[in-house]
Amino acid sequence: MKRAELISRILIVVGILLAVGAPLFFWARTPLIHARMAEDGGWNPDVIQAEVGKPLHLKFTSDDVVHGFAVGQMDMQSVDILPGKVTDITLNFDEPGIYTFFCTRWCGLNHWRMRGTIEVSGSSSDPEPATVPLYVSLKLDLDAPHDAPVVPNGKPLAISGQSLETNLPIDQSAEYYRSHSPYEVFESLQNTPLTDGQRWNAVAYFWQSNTTSESLANGRQLYAQNCAACHGENGAGNGVFADDLVQAGEASMQSMSGAMNMMMQAPVDFTDPRRMLGASPALLQGKILRGGMGTGMPMWGSIFTEQQIWDLTAYIYSFQFEYEK
Amino acid sequence: MRFHFSLLLLVMAGLAVAFVPLPVPAITPQERTFEIDAHQFAYSPSELKVNTGDTITIQLVSADVVHGLYVYGYDISVEADPGQSATLTFVADKPGSFRFRCNITCGAMHPFMIGKLNVGSNSWLYRSIGLAALAVFGVTVSKKPKA
Repeated sequence: MKRAELISRILIVVGILLAVGAPLFFWARTPLIHARMAEDGGWNPDVIQAEVGKPLHLKFTSDDVVHGFAVGQMDMQSVDILPGKVTDITLNFDEPGIYTFFCTRWCGLNHWRMRGTIEVSGSSSDPEPATVPLYVSLKLDLDAPHDAPVVPNGKPLAISGQSLETNLPIDQSAEYYRSHSPYEVFESLQNTPLTDGQRWNAVAYFWQSNTTSESLANGRQLYAQNCAACHGENGAGNGVFADDLVQAGEASMQSMSGAMNMMMQAPVDFTDPRRMLGASPALLQGKILRGGMGTGMPMWGSIFTEQQIWDLTAYIYSFQFEYEK
Repeated sequence: MRFHFSLLLLVMAGLAVAFVPLPVPAITPQERTFEIDAHQFAYSPSELKVNTGDTITIQLVSADVVHGLYVYGYDISVEADPGQSATLTFVADKPGSFRFRCNITCGAMHPFMIGKLNVGSNSWLYRSIGLAALAVFGVTVSKKPKA
């Protein structure tokens, strides 16, 4: 009897230890990923290995300020990473490849440098052929000047253009819209009896009809989260970091040997009609996707999906055109 | 007996100075908007002065990292990311001086990121000056008979 009691006692103690200890053991084995401002090292570690079909458990904490975590081109809610707290995240990957994860809460001038990669190995169940972005197939030079020689007197009104546009010779395909700048469409209407102002209004309506309110709303949200800190909440290129970027210009030039043209610059002013009306959606797509190559404009190709970039370009044009609300 | 009476008088006067409500000048409440620039580790402006009853809108603009603003006494807060300024609107119906502070950890000096909201006139300053004057008066008067 005594012997049986002893054994059962031992069993209970071992059972409790296992029940508590085993999850704790596995939790402790997951390495803790530290998030710091990019100036202080960014993510540590910044390369994570994973396998297709196996859930990837990650633990994050911040060493300084509020950061966020999200994986680019993945349909996921970004997660906040707070100093002094540990955030658990579980990710599942269906396709092998190299994924980019990035900080989602602005944490300083170099916030966008805070990126890392997740290398997912395994075999693909449904390999998708890679598509070439439109700006590449159009062979656009992203760094060439593209100012519109003529600009409207005021913001063109889409609502005024609506009645004009019905019998105008504008190609209605999405390809035509994406590969032409507002100025080029304006020029194509030269042989119509419209005044310049009416032609601009027609262009505004054409731009509005090539986007949806959902797309604009999505673009507005992406813009606020990712672009407004430099380009300004109203697109005027006067975000809170604009002055810092200009100041960093000289210093950053020295750090990049040989690349004299490539230094941090003032963010582009999206309210400038000369620049914006001379840019086609494909050109803007390229600039967002590739980034500014050392100018301080990040490369977003590994983070935004193609649709997100089109939503953003649609929203950026709304600084030029007065759309119907 | 006389001494006790004058002491009582003095205490009454002191209570009056401390607690008698001042004639409040009729100020029509207005709407005020403040743009507060938040950066590590300060607000600018860091001191706001409003009248009781004013409707206050604080537009918080973060210039480097995510900052917050929490107002003690009112127990309200707002959080702003750089590039996404946020607004906080409330009615300043409680008079007094209130601290506000950053409630989002924003770096090493985060606990010292504070500011002040003054609602209404600072009557306690004048009341305490009055009390001090009364005390000085009381001491000088009570000392006279002995000298």
